[in-house]
Amino acid sequence: MGVRGSVMITQLEVDGIPALIAPTTGQMHAGLAFRVGFADEPLARRGITHLIEHLALHSFGVADYHYNGATGVEHTFFHMQGVEADIVAFLNGVCAGLRDLPMNRLEVEKEILRTEQNSRGESPAERLALWRHGARDYGMPGYPEWGLHGLTPDDLRAWVARYFNRDNAVLWIAGPGVPAGLRLDLPDGTRQVLPAPSSTLPVRPAYFTGDSNVVAWDAVVRRGAASAVFADVLRRMMFRSLRQEGGLSYNVLTDYTPRADGRAVLMAVADALPEKQDAVLGGFVDVLAAARLGMIEQAEVTTVVNQRRDEMTHADAAGGRLPGQAFNLLAGRPLQDLEEALAELGAVTRDDVAAVAAEACADGLLMTPGDNEAGWAGFTEAPSESEILVDGIVYPSIGDSAPRLTAGERGLSVTRMDSVATVLFDKCSAVLAWPDGGRIFIGHDAVQVRVEPALYPDGHAVVAALDARVRPELRVAMPPRDPERIPRPPTSDRDAGTGSVLSRAFRRIRGR
Amino acid sequence: MIGSTDVVLDRAAAYPEIAGLRTALRRADWPACRALIDQLEPSARSGALLDCGDEKDIEGFLRGVLAADPADPAATALLGHHLIKVGWQIRTGYTAEHVSRGQFRQFHEWLRKAELLLIDGAARHPKDPAIWTARLLTARGLQLGLAETRRRLDRALAAHPDHLPAQFQFLQSACPKWSGTWELVHGFARDAAAAAPPGSPHAVLIVYAHLEHMFGDDETDVLRYLANDAIRAEIYEAAHRSVWHPEFRRGYGWLQALNAFAMIFTMLDDRRSAATTFTALGDLAAEYPWNRVGADVQAQVREARAWAYEGAS
Repeated sequence: MGVRGSVMITQLEVDGIPALIAPTTGQMHAGLAFRVGFADEPLARRGITHLIEHLALHSFGVADYHYNGATGVEHTFFHMQGVEADIVAFLNGVCAGLRDLPMNRLEVEKEILRTEQNSRGESPAERLALWRHGARDYGMPGYPEWGLHGLTPDDLRAWVARYFNRDNAVLWIAGPGVPAGLRLDLPDGTRQVLPAPSSTLPVRPAYFTGDSNVVAWDAVVRRGAASAVFADVLRRMMFRSLRQEGGLSYNVLTDYTPRADGRAVLMAVADALPEKQDAVLGGFVDVLAAARLGMIEQAEVTTVVNQRRDEMTHADAAGGRLPGQAFNLLAGRPLQDLEEALAELGAVTRDDVAAVAAEACADGLLMTPGDNEAGWAGFTEAPSESEILVDGIVYPSIGDSAPRLTAGERGLSVTRMDSVATVLFDKCSAVLAWPDGGRIFIGHDAVQVRVEPALYPDGHAVVAALDARVRPELRVAMPPRDPERIPRPPTSDRDAGTGSVLSRAFRRIRGR
Repeated sequence: MIGSTDVVLDRAAAYPEIAGLRTALRRADWPACRALIDQLEPSARSGALLDCGDEKDIEGFLRGVLAADPADPAATALLGHHLIKVGWQIRTGYTAEHVSRGQFRQFHEWLRKAELLLIDGAARHPKDPAIWTARLLTARGLQLGLAETRRRLDRALAAHPDHLPAQFQFLQSACPKWSGTWELVHGFARDAAAAAPPGSPHAVLIVYAHLEHMFGDDETDVLRYLANDAIRAEIYEAAHRSVWHPEFRRGYGWLQALNAFAMIFTMLDDRRSAATTFTALGDLAAEYPWNRVGADVQAQVREARAWAYEGAS
């Protein structure tokens, strides 16, 4: 198998930044990536990286859409395609922007980000991340950019100094070489290691009800060609079973995302008409069972390997493999040139793919469509409430308008019927604090405890005492609420205990 | 036969393969079981595996068979049916309000055990209609939803067109008591009967649909229901298509078909038709659908038969 057009990647340094250069058959493009992403953000600072990315690009206006910035889970990068002079101007400008963020734009960019957030829906991948990892590190994509409300210029400068420096960056260039005039003026710093992924799933395979019109699933598996091949094989199995055979889904997709720690996330999603949700779930359960038992044809694997070989070869010729290699360099992982990547791919056997499938199914997290359960299919319900109830002072709500609140030395709990939600102060990710005294405490495990002071006797004093127990940096100052939306105690007997806003909120205590 | 007061409800009397399979099961002789099962056509095979599921104490034996060969499709379907039957015996056949929480919990546990086994069975043998038939029962008991139940029926029919054991199960799931509708029940029965070749027993589904409608809906006035000319005509047309068709054979479903027509002809006050149907049955009968009227099936069959023959003599 001759590898036509395969060219070695050249490694060098540009202004102290490691750089990867490879020729391209298409237009020149280049990117500057930093080892920072959502996974690094504390919940109370959620959105800070995205905000910095926007501010750094502000000076370029909207004239040219051949440049872009992207904030991801592990990396943030700035990328441009064009002639050499434009690339030089862009990358030099990004570095200048990072050195001196246009703080006068802060409030406007925050507003733009809030609009962007409201206009896009919550993706299945984000919800899976939240349920798998909780309110920390790799669970962050599942949360709104709550940090935006309180971020100050000093917060941004500190974040830039820590993450957007020459020792935490990598450059790639798809083109003839380093363009003249490129001057990546970034401060010194240190390479930032990724946090270890947290887990909130004591038992897997697990499920939660997604209350939406898709079935979605993810699993963390070994990183490598066999896992990438399995992602494509799984999509083909889903397409046949859910779309062609059953006519149950219109869109099916799978995704393979390598992680810097040597693992990879596999994800699968299929949509479902409201009246077909249970059948899509059943069909998907059967597809996973077939995969788990290794019911995978050699011909299927061969087809996928051939497709991926073509894609990889084309991508390589256009410099499309450079970003992935740049991320490898940042993670201290070995680079893999095309020939090595194709050799790894070519060595993938049917048995390798079956082994990944079994590994993936054992680790799976399933989001069911609608309110369907999946215990019948061997999935354990993911914890949606707390095992423990804190010791402390018990505050019944006024007129049973809210769950019973217990405030103790170690944390706080709310209870209604048999359900308990507890946040411990030393395992608290953030506290959303409204000026009217309303609070939502969010634990590391993503469990939320909401306290509305108006609904408890001496509620404001209780909230003040709780506030004092939480580290100030966890506090998110939320903007004032519409007075209509601030819960009030029932004013008559008739209103008492008839299922308040709070009891509805309590039913599903995890979520955004 | 006329004059006999015996009522034989044992399926094995109508389907000899069931007697053979029971004997082999009681000897714990799996190769003999397989030899019997493997020679059956798909409907008879599914029917026998379903019926033999109520053999006592076969879980240990079948688990052993599956330990030696986890992929054995017949052992998978049979054990699935057995676990389902154990669950239903705990639940009892009473309506939901007469079943305790503890009974429901155990019922669901047994059904989940069955379903986990059958999920793997269906993954290994997606073209085995007996496994899909068993999964129609778990789908109903675990209340997995009508669309999922329909998917399982479709998989059974894709494996074997007109697979009557699966159609019997789906008809139950399509009833309002399991969150279906009468329109769905009747539409399904008509389509399934029309799709099957003339002389096949499938038109019994139309009779089942009417009987379920009469007994399953408190609003229905049985006399007025049966006085409807269109319904009467549909029932006779169904008989002509199945039990009265020259091609009608004693293959899988013959007992259920004759038995149901005997009952509906009795209800229609058609002595002659009932008598010829009882004659064809001899002393055989099936519990369902007589048990929709009352628990003492034997007494009801005996009475109906006596009434039918009385007019014929």
